[in-house]
Amino acid sequence: MLCLWCPDWPVVAARRADPSLEGVPVVVLDRGFVLAASVEARAEGVRRGLRRREAEVRCPGLVIRPVDSAGEARAFEALSRAVEVLAPRLALDRPGLLFVPTRGPSRYFGGDEALATRLMAGVAAVLVGGDRPGDDEVAEGAGEPDVRIGVADGVFAARLAARRATPGAAFVVPAGESPAFLAPWPVRVFDDDDLASLLVRLGLSTLGDFAGLPEASVLGRFGLAGLGAHRRARGEDEHPPALRVPPPDLELHHEFDPPVSRVDTAVFAGRALADRLLAELAADGLICTRVRVEAETEHGERLARSWRLSAGGSARGGGSAGRLQGGGGVGSSPGSAILADRVRGQLEAWVSRDEGPARAEAGRSADDDLVTSGLTLLRLVPEEVVVAGRSQLGLWGGDRAAAERAGRALVRLQSLLGPEAVTTPVLQGGRTPDEQVAWVPWGDDPPALSDHCRPPVPPGYSDSGGDLSATNVQTSAGWPGAIPPPAPAVVFQPARPAELLDAAGQPVVVSGRGEASAEPERLNSLALPRGGGPVEAWAGPWLQDLRWWDPAARRRRALWQVVAAGIACLVSVEGGEAHLEAVYD
Amino acid sequence: MVLAGERRLAVPGPLGEIIPGGGLQRGSVVRVEGPAGSGATSLVLILLAAATVAGEWAALVDGDGVLGGLAAAEAGVALDRLAVVRAVPASLYGRVVATLLDGVTVVGATIPRGFRPADARRLEARARERAAVLVAAGSWPGEAALRLRAEHSSWSGLGRGEGLLGRRVLRVAVSGRGAAGRERVAELVTGSCAAA
Repeated sequence: MLCLWCPDWPVVAARRADPSLEGVPVVVLDRGFVLAASVEARAEGVRRGLRRREAEVRCPGLVIRPVDSAGEARAFEALSRAVEVLAPRLALDRPGLLFVPTRGPSRYFGGDEALATRLMAGVAAVLVGGDRPGDDEVAEGAGEPDVRIGVADGVFAARLAARRATPGAAFVVPAGESPAFLAPWPVRVFDDDDLASLLVRLGLSTLGDFAGLPEASVLGRFGLAGLGAHRRARGEDEHPPALRVPPPDLELHHEFDPPVSRVDTAVFAGRALADRLLAELAADGLICTRVRVEAETEHGERLARSWRLSAGGSARGGGSAGRLQGGGGVGSSPGSAILADRVRGQLEAWVSRDEGPARAEAGRSADDDLVTSGLTLLRLVPEEVVVAGRSQLGLWGGDRAAAERAGRALVRLQSLLGPEAVTTPVLQGGRTPDEQVAWVPWGDDPPALSDHCRPPVPPGYSDSGGDLSATNVQTSAGWPGAIPPPAPAVVFQPARPAELLDAAGQPVVVSGRGEASAEPERLNSLALPRGGGPVEAWAGPWLQDLRWWDPAARRRRALWQVVAAGIACLVSVEGGEAHLEAVYD
Repeated sequence: MVLAGERRLAVPGPLGEIIPGGGLQRGSVVRVEGPAGSGATSLVLILLAAATVAGEWAALVDGDGVLGGLAAAEAGVALDRLAVVRAVPASLYGRVVATLLDGVTVVGATIPRGFRPADARRLEARARERAAVLVAAGSWPGEAALRLRAEHSSWSGLGRGEGLLGRRVLRVAVSGRGAAGRERVAELVTGSCAAA
């Protein structure tokens, strides 16, 4: 993951719009308080959050600019396009901060450093010379813009690497070394002051100290938020990579009829759309972590940008804190305020582009004008969702309070017995009852449904499980050779030793062609009451050829359904030895 | 004010028609007995389904780790609201069940031999306090508002060397306290292939 960060983005954007600000101390004010300050102003002691008068006292000659969120969004859009040329799958976080997955681009450009150098050059061209291609601006000593690039394994580590980086040179953490890179950082870097101060009071002052704690203890003591922070401190992403693919019917769109060319109209619709999207996701127990904003215009132009939606904490610590809080409606959740803010910024970047006359007459190339006509469609597509709370356990139709109560009890048990002891069954593909269920530690994301690892179905085989996702139980029915229902209520793992004997008291063996040596007459196993009994009815043997594609792991066994002494059992015979697999209790 | 009827969890399927009142009384203990292979585990699963059908949560303390998850799904349990706790040390058993009763509506537990009556009374009180249901399988040393005994299962569909397990007739003896004190024996027909 590569993180590209421009500190004090409002100042960068203001300078881009007005090159005369280059080299002079500038601050951007938000309702009388300093929101961002240039390097020159910072050198004089101007800090974020100062009052206007105090800033002026500390730094005579200070140039003060009001917040221009549309200008910031426009400048960021230009930057995004410069990045997009090199790495298409970028995700924006907030103006001035974006993430690029490095896997493809790095290989293409020959390594993380090479990619970072190219990005740096491309971005610098946009920020410094981009507005006036003819002028010899760079020679004026405007210097390179303050762009920092960090590369590391996860989002959190990449963000810190970008903080460590110096302008003009990327800071690359080699793959796999992110935990070591993170270890010396103080716990303050979590955007969670409560957690950080608590950790410090407990004597855990660095990420490395925190990462060294066992997961179960962290969960028991700090709860879900603490577990997320613990994952980040270990260099993993806060949400495990198995993010759920959002159902397609969750995307929302709004059609503009007649087409709109005014920003505020589009933004109004965008905010309503954002609220609705989050409400519908919340009803499904989901949280959106990345959303794609798409727009179409009368002339058939299509625009799309992905935005990361980090948790409320990091947005509060972010550069545009005041506005974010103010931007949200009174009753709406912080999440929807952030999303609405991002949608507004993106729409401003797209739509308000053709407003300024200077912009129109300046020799800006046609591809800079993204929108040449009114918007006809605005669409929000959730690209990544994670399950709210900490588990995939459904809130569908259930009582929310009941789910929370159950969650608290189960988390307490996990801290008592270890995370592995509390599990939930997830149905998956397989032939035998033990294969068809995965026991997922409670709270972990379920493994990707292993439909893709089904063995190839021979041509002509009528695969009745066409709609695998329709119901739980049908998932298993799709496997050829699966044992049909009813399923046994007791499944031994591992299978218990048993004896399947014929009338002469000899073990029943099964030939390679699936023929039994004799009819079974008696089933003995210590797992059965009274040690087993005479076989009353049976069916089988059914041959199973497991992992035939892998010579080392290949197994052949035969399965029997047996009713012995009134008890229905599933028995396997492999290599002359019988095992009791399951009991239909 | 909560009426007694609202404090019941309806048990789905044919078992609900057998149980007095049609459901589980919240805040009570249900005892399920029966020798291995007679169908006692299936009864427990159906009782757990009573919770998830109502949108509530169910948990099972599965000491030996032998529960078949697929059978739970077939019994009607919504698996995403089922938690299964395994590998519980005997010394912590009472504590684990009590913690589950705090948060989960129906808790199934196979009570290990040697469980003390004092602990059983404590769990009973906890269930009453939290309006939860404890489904105790195995050797429960305390009182129970409802007792289900799986007596015998007979299977059809399987012949000598042919067919498949299909329909099952499970004979259950049901008894309770008070008005439901008299023991009734009923036959429960399960198995998806009723035609077999």
